[in-house]
Amino acid sequence: MLSLRELQTEFRRAILGQGETSVALRNAVAHDPFAEERLAIYRNNVLASLTAVLRDTFPVVCRLVDERFFAYAAHEFVCWRPPSRPALSEYGAAFPLFLGRFPPCRDLVYLSDVARLEWLLNEVANAPDQPPLPSDAIAGIVCKDAAELRLSLSSAYLESRWPVDRIWLANQADAPDETISLDAGGVFIEIFRRDGAAQFRSLPPAAFAFRKALASGAGLGQAIERALEKGDFVPREALAALFRDGLVLEVSLVKKDSLP
Amino acid sequence: MRDNRKIAGLPTPAGIGLRAPHLRDFLSARPPLGFLEVHAENYIGGGPALTALQSLRRDYPVSLHGVGVSLGSASGLDREHLRRFRALIDRTEPFLVSEHLAWSSADGVYLNDLLPLPYTEEALAIVALNIATAQEMLGRQILVENPSRYLAFRDSPIPETEFLSELHQRTGCGILCDVNNIFVTCTNLELDPEAYLAALPASAVGEIHLAGHSRVERGGLSILIDDHASVVSAPVWHLYRLAVEKFGRVPSLVEWDKNLPPFDTLLSEARIAEKIAQAMVDADA
Repeated sequence: MLSLRELQTEFRRAILGQGETSVALRNAVAHDPFAEERLAIYRNNVLASLTAVLRDTFPVVCRLVDERFFAYAAHEFVCWRPPSRPALSEYGAAFPLFLGRFPPCRDLVYLSDVARLEWLLNEVANAPDQPPLPSDAIAGIVCKDAAELRLSLSSAYLESRWPVDRIWLANQADAPDETISLDAGGVFIEIFRRDGAAQFRSLPPAAFAFRKALASGAGLGQAIERALEKGDFVPREALAALFRDGLVLEVSLVKKDSLP
Repeated sequence: MRDNRKIAGLPTPAGIGLRAPHLRDFLSARPPLGFLEVHAENYIGGGPALTALQSLRRDYPVSLHGVGVSLGSASGLDREHLRRFRALIDRTEPFLVSEHLAWSSADGVYLNDLLPLPYTEEALAIVALNIATAQEMLGRQILVENPSRYLAFRDSPIPETEFLSELHQRTGCGILCDVNNIFVTCTNLELDPEAYLAALPASAVGEIHLAGHSRVERGGLSILIDDHASVVSAPVWHLYRLAVEKFGRVPSLVEWDKNLPPFDTLLSEARIAEKIAQAMVDADA
């Protein structure tokens, strides 16, 4: 007889496997001509509910590939990388990567980046509410040689070779028909929350490099260096704009050698 | 004999399970209702959803219904999840917190469904320990809900009602009696729903759930699915009358999760529950 732990492992394998029920599980289930159908109800509940979670998080991807193909891709993804936690708004971080490597999607070169945009919109939309710091928050901070300022932001950043912003917009429910050329060039997108909803906008390359560096944990000096590599950039103005946009959640002093 | 004392200080009229698509309607209408119940996992990350819930909390008592704690997991509980659940309790001050007699997690994988347990002494010891751990980490008593089941295990000698009573005895947890789940499980596994209801320890029941189910055919098997996608059926309302007669006017909740109807339909289901419970009280007086 199986221990409860073994039984749950067999059950999990039956649900996320390729439809195979082990002999051990079949023996544990009450004798019944419909035992497989009964197990299939649980398998279907799990896959359908997690597919619905992914569809809610990636609606534009679903529209781009159509509902049936999405269900197939979601099924494959769920079996490859099932959730580890019950807070399901946090499930699906690896779906963009999965789509990028999923052979049937090979021709949809932009799909993975559209999924990245949707994932970041989801993350920003569901982040804990935290009021931004006012613009005088860094006025009194004295920065010594060995230390650097680090700003933590409520926004997220996405760079793509494809016009994913226009693809996303053209696939909203009320959008007019539009043909988007994939040769339109790359985009630098900032995702942020306003009035409780996630939104995005495109940024000039230098501002994007500055903000993206800060968002990934770089110090202020490092972020400025990266922005200057991209072209015209006035650090003081860029810093003021960051506060004006209400994106700064925390300011801290860190040792330079602890920076990435 | 009905025991109405245990609900002193608690909301007695019926409540509804609040789901995200109804949030806007609810925030603007703020209809009179006994209480609101939400799935804890949808608010655990904080964010605008939690801010909206906290705003509603000023007007309504709130019940937090967990769907992901996985009290039946043989590999123990996810302590990080329980810490976040506790933080949500601290922020929303619910009058009830509940979970299920089921499991959802195994080997670090969360399966997002209420999966069935065999009712053995081994499972009883595991679930009792998990409930005790959950109650300790959440800092309060929880109610444990009878699940809808689609299959039985060969080795499962303890009746579900006895299993729940024993959990109540061992851990002090309460019981959330879902009358729709009783009907679904008993129909699917050929048990008697009225006998099931009669076997529950009345003093432990702290809440009643109501919902819709549907019948599906799968490869020659005809089975009831607890899909929360329709109105409460007549036989379930009948069981609800019996439940109120036995348990008194405990908080009663109407759940609806799929194919969400207009908000008013959900409210009128709650009104029916309220009317039935009130009729019982009037008959008593």
